[in-house]
Amino acid sequence: MRAYAVCVYLFLYIPIGVIALFSFNAGRHASQLQGFSTKWYGKALSNPFVMDALETSLIVAFTSALCASVFGTMAAVALQGIKGPVRTAFDLLIYVAVMIPGIVIGIATLIGLVTVFDQLNPMIAAIWPNGLTPPKLQMGMGSLIAAHTMFLMALVVIIVRARLAGMDRALTEASSDLYATPMATFRQVTLPMIFPAILAGFLLSFTFSFDDFIIAFFVAGSETTLPIYVFSSIRRGVTPEINAIGTMVLIVSLLMLITAQLLLQRGGKKPK
Amino acid sequence: MESRGYIEAFTPADGKAIAELRGVSKRFGDVLAASDLNLTITEGEFLSFLGPSGCGKTTALRMLAGFETPTEGDVLLDGEVVNALEAHHRPVNMVFQQYALFPHMTVAQNIGYGLRQRRPRLPKAQIAEKVDKTLDIVQLGGFEDRKIWEMSGGQQQRVALARAIINEPKLLLLDEPMAALDRKLRKEMQIELQDLQRQLGITFVLVTHDQEEALSMSDRICIMREGRIVQVGSPQELYDRPNSKYVADFVGTSNFFDGTVVEQPGPLTSVRLSNGMIMRGTPTEEMSNSEDVSVSVRPEQMTLQRQGEGLTVEVRNRIFLGEHTEYLVNHETLGDFLVLSPRQSEQTEGAFTVGDTAFVSWEDSAALILDRN
Repeated sequence: MRAYAVCVYLFLYIPIGVIALFSFNAGRHASQLQGFSTKWYGKALSNPFVMDALETSLIVAFTSALCASVFGTMAAVALQGIKGPVRTAFDLLIYVAVMIPGIVIGIATLIGLVTVFDQLNPMIAAIWPNGLTPPKLQMGMGSLIAAHTMFLMALVVIIVRARLAGMDRALTEASSDLYATPMATFRQVTLPMIFPAILAGFLLSFTFSFDDFIIAFFVAGSETTLPIYVFSSIRRGVTPEINAIGTMVLIVSLLMLITAQLLLQRGGKKPK
Repeated sequence: MESRGYIEAFTPADGKAIAELRGVSKRFGDVLAASDLNLTITEGEFLSFLGPSGCGKTTALRMLAGFETPTEGDVLLDGEVVNALEAHHRPVNMVFQQYALFPHMTVAQNIGYGLRQRRPRLPKAQIAEKVDKTLDIVQLGGFEDRKIWEMSGGQQQRVALARAIINEPKLLLLDEPMAALDRKLRKEMQIELQDLQRQLGITFVLVTHDQEEALSMSDRICIMREGRIVQVGSPQELYDRPNSKYVADFVGTSNFFDGTVVEQPGPLTSVRLSNGMIMRGTPTEEMSNSEDVSVSVRPEQMTLQRQGEGLTVEVRNRIFLGEHTEYLVNHETLGDFLVLSPRQSEQTEGAFTVGDTAFVSWEDSAALILDRN
């Protein structure tokens, strides 16, 4: 049984280890090791295409994680006050939203947005003053952020709700007993107490958005995110430069996940 | 029992009504948590709701606080109906069962919370000064910058108390505040709480299931059962003139002998017990013949002797309590009951030992005839 477990872990982690190892390869070819070098990291970081893609990815990840955290927290707090079948329905829908394969979200968002844009664009053109070029809604950064926000929101709702459920209801009652309005209670009691969960949700969302390829591939339009760049360059063969990018993404993602986990653990602990 | 003199620490006639429940009922789905509660709380008194868990005492408290709205009836504060007034608009503060202190704030921030919500805002210096004063009142001077989780249970309770009284509420509500404290600390806090109440003159309303706590602290006790108020009165009144077996059983310890009313010749009523024996006692209300009742005799009102009148019993157990000795005795047909024997009688009679045969007697007027329900 133990040997079996070891095999499973080896199977899972050896490819990742190999990528990290080959990112330090001094040689050109990804198939043979020729001594240690960090030159591919330098090369990746000085490649303008990589830097462009990185910038796009960072903007998308930051914005969609921020939107998801704000809307997700609002939804979680609102859901707290609902009981009965409505609550059950929302709970189910949220779990479904997390489970839905990325490819389905990608296709659905693409079709949905394209349909809406096709309807809206003629209308905008019609009401636009003559002589000026009307703006044209199309796939791009906006649609990418919208799609990511949508699926990340469900994640934030789940994380924040778990924290809210663990919070003593007497605390908000005590606050209102001490003359705080519902808004003041939220600001002074609820928010500080669920903040670690919100931050963890933000970091997880950031990571998921930053790493996402499938949804981005469908809705990015002409934009190139880092995963999309990596995918397209692999078609020209795996270079140590790609390995270097992969390793950097891996390290950043891992750091964020660990931070999120620490935040959730610390936030969940009740000082007695 | 008329011969007993009452020392009333407080009677409701002394002051004006600060809060009132008028025919208040509260329904949660199919459950009737409180049913037709009528009660007037007088300014400056210390009133306790006493009853087992689920009797509606916490619901009553929460309706006063504004966390629940009554399904029927009116809640009045200072003469005004406040049924729909939300908790944050009520000049009432609560000490929660687990204190509900804000864990992300220091002691001083917790205590100043209520003052910081005031609009227009109070000057910071004024809040700080009041917090300092209140810390002194609850003997926590020097603890202002501590975190809540650095404080012991007893200290946390003082913080919770300070956080409430700093607002000078019309009513201070206390929801089983001693439940989380150990026995010794509980005793100390009971005394402190009483002192504080006298010192501040704030009306205290306490919820508890601990009869000892209610008896030792309250001016008046409101005994509840299954959502209803059974009896309201001073601790002495409830102890000496319970209106039902339930109250007699809940306040102090008593021995009960069930039977039916057979005769009511004069001030005393005769009751035929299940074994055919006739017992006489003072009725607590109008009774009709053949009504099912219970004869209640407090253990300390019984006398245990080696020879003489009374019921013949066998001593089953002896517990030495210092000032008193508690005997568990067994009567052939009436079963087990308790007798409390004062120390002086031990000296003349000598201590009984398990297996001894003895005689138990009491004054007929000391026995109370109570409604069995």
